[in-house]
Amino acid sequence: MSAWLQQVIERGQGIDDWLSPARARALDALSNTSWPTRCTESWKYTSLTALEQLDLTAESAEQPSTVEPIPGVDGLDLVFKNGVLQTDLAQLNLPAGLQITSVQTTSAVQQVIATTLFSQIKPKHHLFGLVNDALAGDVLFIDIEQNSHIGQPIRIISLSTGGHESHHRVLVRLGNQAKATLIEQALGQQNSLSTGFTECDLGEQAELEHYRLAMHTGEAIYFGGCHFCLHHHANLNSTLIGYGSQLSRTDIDIIHNGEHAKAKLNAVYLLGESEHFDLHSTIEHAKPNGTTEENVRGIVGDKANAVFNGRIHIHRDAQKTLAELNNRNLLLSRRGQINTKPELEIYADDVQCAHGATVAEIEEEALYYLMSRGISRSKALVMLNYGFIQELINQMPNQQLAQWLEPQLRARFKEMEVR
Amino acid sequence: MLTIKNLHARVEQKNILNNLNLAIKPGEVHAIMGPNGAGKSTLGYVLSGREGYEVLDGQVDFQGQDLLEMETEDRARHGLFLAFQYPVEIPGVSNMEFMKESVNAMRQHRGEEPLTAAEFLKKAKEACKQVQLPLDFLKRGVNEGFSGGEKKRNEIMQMILLEPTLCILDESDSGLDVDALQVVANGVNSQRDGKRSFIVITHYQRLLDYIEPDFVHILANGKVVKSGDASLAKQIEQEGYAFLGLDTSEEASA
Amino acid sequence: MTEQIQEALSRKYEAGFVSDIESETFAAGLDEDVIRRISAMKNEPEWMLEWRLRAYHNWLGMEEPDWAHVRYPKIDYQAISYYSSPKSMKDKPKSLDEVDPELLRVYEKLGIPLYEQEMLAGVAVDVVFDSVSVVTTFREKLKEAGVIFCPISEAIQEYPELVKKYLGTVVPRSDNYFAALNSAVFTDGSFVYIPKGVRCPMELSTYFRINEQNTGQFERTLIIADEGSYVSYLEGCTAPQRDENQLHAAVVELVAMDDAQIKYSTVQNWYPGDENGKGGIYNFVTKRGLCHTNAKISWTQVETGSAVTWKYPSCILKGDNSVGEFYSVALTRGHQQADTGTKMIHLGKNTKSTIISKGISAGQSNNSYRGLVHMGPKADGARNFTECDSLLIGDRCGAHTFPYIESRNPTAKVEHEATTSKVSDDQLFLCKQRGLDAEKAVSMIVNGFCKEVFKELPMEFAVEAGKLLEISLEGSVG
Repeated sequence: MSAWLQQVIERGQGIDDWLSPARARALDALSNTSWPTRCTESWKYTSLTALEQLDLTAESAEQPSTVEPIPGVDGLDLVFKNGVLQTDLAQLNLPAGLQITSVQTTSAVQQVIATTLFSQIKPKHHLFGLVNDALAGDVLFIDIEQNSHIGQPIRIISLSTGGHESHHRVLVRLGNQAKATLIEQALGQQNSLSTGFTECDLGEQAELEHYRLAMHTGEAIYFGGCHFCLHHHANLNSTLIGYGSQLSRTDIDIIHNGEHAKAKLNAVYLLGESEHFDLHSTIEHAKPNGTTEENVRGIVGDKANAVFNGRIHIHRDAQKTLAELNNRNLLLSRRGQINTKPELEIYADDVQCAHGATVAEIEEEALYYLMSRGISRSKALVMLNYGFIQELINQMPNQQLAQWLEPQLRARFKEMEVR
Repeated sequence: MLTIKNLHARVEQKNILNNLNLAIKPGEVHAIMGPNGAGKSTLGYVLSGREGYEVLDGQVDFQGQDLLEMETEDRARHGLFLAFQYPVEIPGVSNMEFMKESVNAMRQHRGEEPLTAAEFLKKAKEACKQVQLPLDFLKRGVNEGFSGGEKKRNEIMQMILLEPTLCILDESDSGLDVDALQVVANGVNSQRDGKRSFIVITHYQRLLDYIEPDFVHILANGKVVKSGDASLAKQIEQEGYAFLGLDTSEEASA
Repeated sequence: MTEQIQEALSRKYEAGFVSDIESETFAAGLDEDVIRRISAMKNEPEWMLEWRLRAYHNWLGMEEPDWAHVRYPKIDYQAISYYSSPKSMKDKPKSLDEVDPELLRVYEKLGIPLYEQEMLAGVAVDVVFDSVSVVTTFREKLKEAGVIFCPISEAIQEYPELVKKYLGTVVPRSDNYFAALNSAVFTDGSFVYIPKGVRCPMELSTYFRINEQNTGQFERTLIIADEGSYVSYLEGCTAPQRDENQLHAAVVELVAMDDAQIKYSTVQNWYPGDENGKGGIYNFVTKRGLCHTNAKISWTQVETGSAVTWKYPSCILKGDNSVGEFYSVALTRGHQQADTGTKMIHLGKNTKSTIISKGISAGQSNNSYRGLVHMGPKADGARNFTECDSLLIGDRCGAHTFPYIESRNPTAKVEHEATTSKVSDDQLFLCKQRGLDAEKAVSMIVNGFCKEVFKELPMEFAVEAGKLLEISLEGSVG
């Protein structure tokens, strides 16, 4: 038992609210968890040393916490700052069929529903998911009634600033045939620790358009997760953008819990400097006739380290599943590293499953072609790098969001050291 | 415009160009023919500065400047254009983005203001029409999923947009049917203005029916073995390279 | 159709018989004393004993690995006998004529008629019966070429300098739990040395077979191909039927010096256990090769046996331009579990590796590919291509793929692809419509699935592998 984990447990024991029974289970699990080392399979390439040595007492200048709107995206903004919800939920003008409450304001009925989500979708093995179970302060519950189509994207921003530790949680329930768009943006760059976990339950034929922008950089340590449970004919389209900080880890789980569900997950990570980004995704096909398409692309420059573990698990009776995972990486620098592991675990025979992974550099031939048209080497590299991920960015259903992201993504390439 | 003197070059330890000499004046069209392995494509790559093509000896003067000293992109900005025999596919980078970047790099070099998106789009659409490519090609990835003929036409479209001073066409006719050949030839001819020069690398006389050359050079074993006017190409069409005493067995087997 | 398959699947293990040969066996248990006795039985020099004892102490401080996708009851290492020698071997035979005729009949039953192989295939066979090398054929002919091919126990006596120089250099004593155990207690195995510039005039072959009840077999193989030499080595394994699981923890070390080539082929058919998953061999093997400049090591394996397989024949591509290859067919049925694959460690410039893995799962078995491709910071221009295909037969089995890719060099290129398929009803229908029965159809389809690997096997072996697959598969259609 590490000292860090010990103090988490002690703090967790001090929290008393209606989520306490669920928190107690997490605390119990945590006290039986051994601290990960490089020998722990799911932490093989990610060291927790930065967390063990974290000192939040150092003074740091307060960051402005204003949130820029995304042009063209008329989002319903919900802002967490250091785990504390800044938005006055009572003041929100919510469309019919949508309810948003926090742990303090949740009605008794909603508490019952929320209890069926909290720590119920997220698998128990995520260490920092358990930490979040124990310590999450403001738990946001977004409830979308069946048949409700919420056109306005719900945007959840979580900011972490220097010297703070924070844990926030989001629970989302989409009723049968409901539709919604959720944009989750997590950011911060100063010395801090934050965890942010989201659990989404997609009812029958529900559709969710989801974006996770894991934009922590610099000194900010971040552990996050998104966990989806898909019922009959549910449809998930999720895009993840990952930057890296000194320690940044995201876990995604998609569980096909009903037949004919469809999931599409596109992920892009761009790392420079000494950034570290670790993405673990698990797709569980527990029911037949499900479809999963997962595309993950990463670019690594400077001394950065990218870790990807993409697991597809087809359960015994999940016949007629179609599942594909494709992971492509560009390694730009001699000092950077890419560690990737696509995994297939298959227990049903009548399925079509495939995965592929590549690590390469930008093709010299393409570079020459661009340069032969007068484009400078550095510009050509940015174009080709962006081109490598653009195919996935172009697939984002919300193109306003894509356009807002584009200059930010390109700027990251400009700063990357190549070879 | 271009003077090549005593050029020797090699690729992967193999000498390809051996004492090649060639002089091109503004407005001239030079056709280069010759058996496979003669060094025709290598000449295009060496002139445009492709990595891996090592110049062992010789000088190349391009409009009063030492071409071999320049980087690939600088050669392009000085007006040298190579239409590739096998244009590479670049998924993810759109034709539009690519060409706009490229056109503006040229303009910047000439001290001109970059084109706005609208200005560029107008020009690009015109060029697109000229080579008979549908407009949606501008939005697609560079050469991505294009047929052989579409790739060749895309090269000509780029040539029209970039307004180079010296164009090297590397087998821009290979794999084209008669209609496509005419489109390519018309594109080239539209750019003949008495100042712009062309090097047309080809295997077949038929392209030269559309693009009439001022000079025809036969390249073999890395050097020019015979030069003449357009009639030389016709002679080769009829008699092959044999009358030049060249060993063409390599071509026969290729 | 399913019934036919079940019927065929329940077919008995062909190599499952026990030969009645008197043997000398140590009592179960492992301590320093046992190691000293093994060493003494072999008349080993002091340095060898020291080496074993250090390995033993390494082993004591290690834990049995648990990361593989396999489940088996805990092994009681004190319940295993670490030495067994057929008694009649006390006076070693000088030629085949002197070999116990009962032993020869055993091999005949296995379909390895020594004489025939000797005469027809021109294969030199180093036969290991439990722990002692019985006879080595073609020694003289090889000697002429300067090739040394002998039991490793003999090499320790006769070529101590060579053994000392290379033993444990590719698979260190403390490399992993099973390798450490092997280093402490190995009883025999083969030793091969090919001198500079020599192309070994024939394919070298060893058949391993576990006979005695509850004896672990810990053979150790060391092959050194000196500069510019070439050798092709074949290894075949069978074991008789036993109720209790038998442990097999072998170590194979290959050293390919500059410009040398080693081709190592294995057909493994240890007893897989009965239809209820009772019995069978635990095959925990460490195989690794080291390639110097321009060298090439090629592993080809056809794995159809063993209850549990834990095996990753690997290549350390240390020298510039060196090449590593891994071609594998792993077939599991019944309750078999296989976790097998390779590691390609690219250290030198322009190193290349190819991995082709074909996994076939039937019955209630689990078949996993586990592989590592590592591109080191100095592996400029290195290339890897990996293809892993799984074929599932029936809906009670599992097929898994765990490829690790680690790249530290921007000029290196890694490509990995994996697919999963089944023998489709359409394929079966077509074959049957053309007059083939289900069994034949499946075996044909599976053979086609494995073609890429079989073509890497030496001719005689490829035929044997095909037959083995056919026998193992008979009827496994769902």
